Amino acid sequence: MITVAIAKGRMQDDALKLLGKAGVHLHPTALASRRLAVEDSSGDYRFIFVKPMDVPVYVEHGIADCGIVGRDVILETQADVLIPLDLGIAHCQLVVAAIDKDVLTRSLGMLRIATKYSHLASSHFGALGIPVEIISLSGSVELAPVLGLADAIVDLSETGRTLQENGLKVVDVITESTGRFVVNRASYQLKADKLTRFTHSIEAALGLATK
Amino acid sequence: MAVFQGWSYEEILTPSVDYYSLFEQGMGQSEARTAFRFTDNDGHLLSLRPDVTSSIARVAATMLSRAPRPLRFCYAAPVFRQQLQSRAEWRRENTQLGCELIGSNGNTSDLEILLVAAEILSRLGLNDQSIITLSHAGIFAGLCNDSGLDQDARLEIQSLLNSMDQAGLRGFFDRNQIAKEVAESILLLLQLSGKEEVLTQARKSITNSESVAALDSLQKIWTVIRSLGLENRFSLDLADVSGLQYYTGMIFKIYIAGAGYRVGRGGRYDGLTAKFGAAEPAVGFVLSLDTLTEVLSRHQVNISTETTQGRTVKLEDLKTTFSEALARRARHDQIRIEVPD
Repeated sequence: MITVAIAKGRMQDDALKLLGKAGVHLHPTALASRRLAVEDSSGDYRFIFVKPMDVPVYVEHGIADCGIVGRDVILETQADVLIPLDLGIAHCQLVVAAIDKDVLTRSLGMLRIATKYSHLASSHFGALGIPVEIISLSGSVELAPVLGLADAIVDLSETGRTLQENGLKVVDVITESTGRFVVNRASYQLKADKLTRFTHSIEAALGLATK
Repeated sequence: MAVFQGWSYEEILTPSVDYYSLFEQGMGQSEARTAFRFTDNDGHLLSLRPDVTSSIARVAATMLSRAPRPLRFCYAAPVFRQQLQSRAEWRRENTQLGCELIGSNGNTSDLEILLVAAEILSRLGLNDQSIITLSHAGIFAGLCNDSGLDQDARLEIQSLLNSMDQAGLRGFFDRNQIAKEVAESILLLLQLSGKEEVLTQARKSITNSESVAALDSLQKIWTVIRSLGLENRFSLDLADVSGLQYYTGMIFKIYIAGAGYRVGRGGRYDGLTAKFGAAEPAVGFVLSLDTLTEVLSRHQVNISTETTQGRTVKLEDLKTTFSEALARRARHDQIRIEVPD
């Protein structure tokens, strides 16, 4: 059996739709229940639903053989996993946003940055030579500049609406992100047949039919 | 260790603390950086050993430079490396079990090392739960040399191949306007994992002489593996291009069920001893003993600790070649064997 870790939330529906096209179906009642581990109709796959940041953890340790998660999370966690497919789902950008568009150039002191992506944020500002203090939050990051906790934020933006509604403007785009299919290094070798078949069926579902 | 002894490997002890520059030369800068470092009274940078191979290469090239070849060493020793917090391989102190065969070239020595690794795994009862994946450094090197890619491009492609990031690779080829044939053959490597048929597939599109020589050598190794009836225990993964600043020939990795990360790796590193003296062919591997014991305790396997008292036979005295000894050993186990070369 192959264990697949799926990032809960934003990506979950798109991911399941794609898996459906690849011929892997989850029973609706299983989905509707609050169980966090469910099997598909064929019994070949077990799905676990975990927080996005935890997907690389499960896959890297081999508890899940593969998973679906955003590129942003892979970069942030620096997980050592295989990334064979770009699924093109849940496209979004990792941006720097602030109330004041010129905050980066105007401030000569230490900037306070609120984010869920502390590693990516510090390496981004490090590369620009801008001294920052990273404030790690686990949600509702947009609130931080509004309440004066931070000068700017680094966060994901899909449409820009949340930012806009909280009076924030995009200052810089750090990177683009889409959902990726990730595979554990050991599983890739030890369950080679099953995982290659699974990868190919997802690939076919993406319309990238293999040569 | 009993397995190593059976193959005539001598145990070697190397210093736990040594000059950092030794490991920097031995492992390459980026890997050596994981070492714990501190200074000596006179300001020299010291390090807790992050690997054993560097020290063995040094001893072979200096103290034992006149000793008869080949040298066969084995060790079980703790190594120390800094780890990222989230890694599956999280231990900072890890006992490495390894062996090195120095001064012997060609497929037979590659094969000897592979068979030692396979024998250890089968003694542990992991025949069905382990796999050794083979690749060859010459395949990727050949592709790069043939197409004149510069060092930066190579490293970037290598790291993308290492995570099998197909989308990332395509993006990189587009941005840097890499010739289409080159791009295609590098992307093809991602598909080339499996058994013997992989080599035939590879030959269809990879034609430069260096890569073809590498494929030939893998083919020879595989032929012997097949004739020993061991093809279930091995597979080929030509997209494996990790550690190329170190390895020069055959490379392999060892995976076992229950461990999310490889439990061992090895290969041929003919360039290493040159850094400490004369260049010599060398091949070896390491296994992470801690990961192995952890997985085995979960599998609840009883490892037999009985050793049989044997006698040591000097092959030279018997004027037999290594291949013959290898063949005899296998025939003793009632396996049909045919050794090429």
